[in-house]
Formats: sequence, structure tokens, C-alpha cells
Amino acid sequence: MTRFPDSKRANRSRKSAQRDRTDRIGFNANPLLTVALPAWRSKLMLFLLFVGFVALVGRAFYLMGGVSTGFLQRQGEARYARTLEIPATRGRITDRNGVVLASSVPARAVWAIPEDVDAGPEQLNTLARLLQMNVSELKRRLADDDRTFVYLRRQVDADVAERIAALKLAGIHSTREFKRHYPEGATNAHVIGFTNVEDRGQEGIELAHERLLAGRAGSRRVIKDRLGRVIEDDWLREPLDGKDLALSIDNRIQYIAHAALKGALDKHRAKAGAAIVFDVKTGEVLALANLPSFDPNLRGRLSGDAIRNRVLTDTFEPGSTMKPFSIAAALEAGKVRVDTRIQTAPGRLTIGNRTIGDAHAHGMLTVEEIVSKSSNVGTAKIALELPAQTLWDTYTGVGFGQAPRLDFPGAVTGRLRPAKTWRPIEQATISYGHGVSVTLVQLARAYSVFANDGRLVPLTLLKTDTTAMPVRAMSPDTALAMRKMLEMAVGPEGTAPAARIPAYRVAGKTGTAYKIKNGQYVKEYVASFVGFAPVSDPRIVVAVMIDEPAGAHYGGQVAAPVFAAITASALRTLQVTPDAPLDPGREMIASRSAP
Amino acid sequence: MTRGLVVLIGALLFASALSLITAQHRSRSLFMDLERAQVDAKRLDVEHDRLRIDQSRLSQPAYVESEARKIGMKPIDTARTVFLNLPTAETKK
Repeated sequence: MTRFPDSKRANRSRKSAQRDRTDRIGFNANPLLTVALPAWRSKLMLFLLFVGFVALVGRAFYLMGGVSTGFLQRQGEARYARTLEIPATRGRITDRNGVVLASSVPARAVWAIPEDVDAGPEQLNTLARLLQMNVSELKRRLADDDRTFVYLRRQVDADVAERIAALKLAGIHSTREFKRHYPEGATNAHVIGFTNVEDRGQEGIELAHERLLAGRAGSRRVIKDRLGRVIEDDWLREPLDGKDLALSIDNRIQYIAHAALKGALDKHRAKAGAAIVFDVKTGEVLALANLPSFDPNLRGRLSGDAIRNRVLTDTFEPGSTMKPFSIAAALEAGKVRVDTRIQTAPGRLTIGNRTIGDAHAHGMLTVEEIVSKSSNVGTAKIALELPAQTLWDTYTGVGFGQAPRLDFPGAVTGRLRPAKTWRPIEQATISYGHGVSVTLVQLARAYSVFANDGRLVPLTLLKTDTTAMPVRAMSPDTALAMRKMLEMAVGPEGTAPAARIPAYRVAGKTGTAYKIKNGQYVKEYVASFVGFAPVSDPRIVVAVMIDEPAGAHYGGQVAAPVFAAITASALRTLQVTPDAPLDPGREMIASRSAP
Repeated sequence: MTRGLVVLIGALLFASALSLITAQHRSRSLFMDLERAQVDAKRLDVEHDRLRIDQSRLSQPAYVESEARKIGMKPIDTARTVFLNLPTAETKK
């Protein structure tokens, strides 16, 4: 202390000064600590902070209040919301009894990103086996590194696809699609047609009623949780499933027709054949069979020849099956009566510089016999009595030369030239079915006039509850007279005894016509038979056409037995009451077992 | 007084918030059940379709006929049919 005498004083004086300041300002009254800042700086700072907060609030409003919400909401939603496609199932096609003829079930399209695939050889083997492919083929497809997407196989069954997914191979993916199944296979192929891999109709009913069958895919917006489970619906656009379609086809009769036709084709080594059965009262087509046929489930090797629906798209010269209409026209016009006698000897007739002839010379025939024995000369003589226009009107009235109003792709009109252009020789040949062309469906429908008391019934391939509105084409008397003649044609004296069946009365007409190739008649034939049964109250019309039979080629030999086979089974299937008298022995059994 | 009201309203608000959460959770789990049921329904539909196809395939006349022939059955034909004349049949044509 002695060393610092004045420091003591200074200390004291500082202490007192300290004491004085503590009262007023506080401990940091050190003048060194006193920063003499201008007041505006703190105010500026405060202001800047305020501006900062305002900016934040503004930004918050900007982001959330509506100005720029879209982007963020999208980004947010992309993390939990998904739009799912809801596929629409294509409608089923059933027959008139509800048997499924075509139905779609989910399947998978298996595809790969070649770059991503690194599977071991045994894994590739398993995959190839599941896909039913060669390993080399599979490797070839996967080797193409330039492509980022390659289908390995489409229309894979769902359970197979599940097993492929269970392999957990990198780069192998699958997407949902539908596969169309046709359980009946080749039997019904021509009526139903088929779809492509996209489940769109390509042929037949599948194409004709595409809009009804297809339906419309829907979609829905959902919210998913972190495990991918759907937990909330946002919105939903209902998918519209395709409508089911019931055809007029009776599956059992269709099979009968198909089998009978197949038998005949094998027996006569014919190129092709077609048959149609329809209900006279409603116009519903019960069976429509074509051969050669195809399996719509195996569409790998389809040929145009097999796909063609000959009943509707192939025209041929009808031959003798045309005669009843010429005779009916003459009966209607009153030119002849049923028992009018016409001289057909010597079996030929020269018109201008051309001569037409009969297969066998017959001599004097009644009009009835001309039909039942199928005389060209007799028919031509009767037809030449009539004005060409009258004949044309009759033919057109029963539907020749017009497309059948049947909702089916590819149905054709056939060819019937205007009456004004007919020369006499043409009028004669047209009257017995040469120089005109028809389709089998036109021919069958025309015969409904005889079966249906002179009324032409419109045909349909769809099951219908409403009775058809037939159009009158000739008088009931003429139709009845023709029915009688056509029944005689299958009688023992007629051209087609082979068309007869036990227990039912049938009626019909054979046709045998040369084919035309490159504008020339060639020695190849179309044998046909059109008829109906039972005669007392006709229920069905059956038409059969056999193209290019080898060996026997007459309609009565080739087509009539097919008609008989189809008609007998079809009438039994439809449970039509027999109208023919049973033979005595059977009658006895019947009366004994009757209650 | 005002203080009590604030606390009460606060408590109510809190309770309401909790119930909202519960309700949301329950609605979501119910929705998940519904969703699962719908997936099942869809699956059963597909199964039904597939079974109908199988049924159709097995009831194909061609298949039935070939199976019937295997056990020695023959197709019906009118020659081997016995027709019964029931009284009702006589009134018909």
C-alpha cells in the first residue's frame, strides 16, 4: 500500500463514484461499455425483423392461401393419392339356354425390360417353361438391348402369371388384360367370331355387337397409406361392364348340325359345307354351321378359308331349289293349277339357239310332279308363260337379290339381275336356278314363305321374346299347295327320299348346280337341300349346302341325308310332337303304355 | 369467469380433435375392410366366370357324346323311341 499512496485515494474516489452510479444506471456503468449508438439503428433493425416476418407470413399465404397451391398439392398428393384404372369386363355371349359361348376372364401380359434382366440359366428355363416358349426364343427376345420394352407373352392365364411373379425376376413385369374363352371351340366359331388380344371384336357377333359387348373402363382416385393399402376414396368414375348377349342359337342343335355336316364332308370328301336351322315362327336362327371351321381359342393359324361364314358370305347358283318359287309365281298368277299337265318329253327344250335339258326324260307331268321330279324343262315352260317382271317380283318378294337384314358383318346380297335385262333363255334358266346366285341364308329364309303360310319371316341371330313381324309374299293357298308338292319331293317317287325321317312329315327340295370358275361352268358341283318340318305345322326350316362333293354329287344323295339327320335330332331336341302316323307295331306299344 | 370459459372451450376443442382423429381412423379401417370385401367379391366373380366356362366346356354336346359312347350309350333315334299317346296329346294336332 505504501508504495501506492495515491492509488488508495483514487480507489476511494472510484468507490464513491461507483456507489453513486449504481443507484442510477447499474453495474455496467463502465464508460467503456457505454456505446453511444444512434437510436435509428435499432429501429432499423426492428423494422428489418418486422419486414422479415411479414415476408414469411406473405410466403405462407402465397403457398397455402391459393396463389400457388397447385404445384405443392400435386407434389403432396403424388405421395399418397393414386388414380387407379378399373377395367370393364367384356360381356358374355350365351346361347338361348344360357350356355356360355364366349366369356372374358382376367389374364396377364408378361413383358420385360431387356436391360434390367439378369436371370440365371435355370431361372430362364423355368420362365420359358411357364411361358411355354423355347429357351432360345426367350433369350433372343431378351438379347435385344436396344429396346426398352418387349412383350414376352400376352394372354397368360392369371395363375401362371402369379407363378412367374413368384420367381421375382428383375426386369420381368406383367400388366392386366383380359383373355376371351370360347368353351365350344370350333362348333360355334363362325357365328360368334373372335376378338383380338385387346379384347376387341374382329369377326362375327363379336364384331357386329362390339359396342354393346365392350363396355367402358372406369377410374377412381384413392388415397393409399404407407403400406399401399387403399384407405380413402376421392372420386370414382364407375366402369360400365359390357352387356351379356343371348344368341338365338341352340347349342345342342348347333352341335347336331356341325356333326352331321362333318360326317357328310368326310363321307363325300367335299371341300366345304354349310347348314342353317331356324325357327319358322320367330325367325330365330337355331343353328348356323360351317366347315371347314377353326378353333377361336387358338388364333395362331387362322386361314381365310376356315374363317369364312359360308352361310352368309358365299353365293352359289341355287339350281333346282329355285324351282318352287317359279312354280309358286305361276300358281299365284293363275297361269297353271296344281294338276295342270305339261308335256316335258323329250326332256329337252330349245330356246333361241340354246337347248336346256332334264337329267332324265319324263314325258307328261302335272305341275306337282314337275316339282317333285325336278324337271328343268317343265319349270322353264311354265316360267316362260309368265312376264319376266312377275317372276322377278316373286323372287325379290322372298328375299333374293337383297342382303338379309341380319346384323352380321359380311352378309352379301347375291345376284338377281333386273327383269328388263332377261333374255328368254335366261328367264328359262333363272326359273330353275341358273344365272342367279344366292346365299344359303337367303334360300333358307325364302322357304319360310312355304312353311309359314305365305309370309316371309325376318331372321335374327339374337334371342327374342317378341314374335316376328312377317311380310306376306304369297297367298296361304299357294303356300299350302307348294307344301304338298315339296312333301311329294321327298316321297318315294321324288328326288330326295333320303330326306325322310321317322315319325315326322318333312318337305323340301334338292338342288344340284354346276359351279362357275373364271366365268365358265366347270364339272364341280354344289349340292343343296332346303326343307322344313313337320309339314302339318312347320316349326323349323333347315338348309344344307355341300361344296364340291367327290363322287356322288346330287343334292338328293349328298345334302338330303344331312338334312334328315339334322331335322330328326332338332325336332326331338325341340320336343315337337310327331305328326306322322306310326307303324302298327309301335302304335300298339304306345297304346299299351298309355295311362 | 372468462378464464374458466377459455379452459372449458379449450378442453372441448381438444376432445373434439381427438374424436376427429378416432373417427378418421375408424372410417379408414372400415374402408379398408370394405375394399378387401370388394376385392374378394371381384375375385369370386372372376372365379364364377371361370367355373361357368368350365361348366360350358364340360357340357359341350360333343364331349358329352364322346363320354357317353365310352360307357356304351347310343344316341336317341326315333326308331327306338316309344311314343305315348297322352290324353293331352290327342287334343293337339
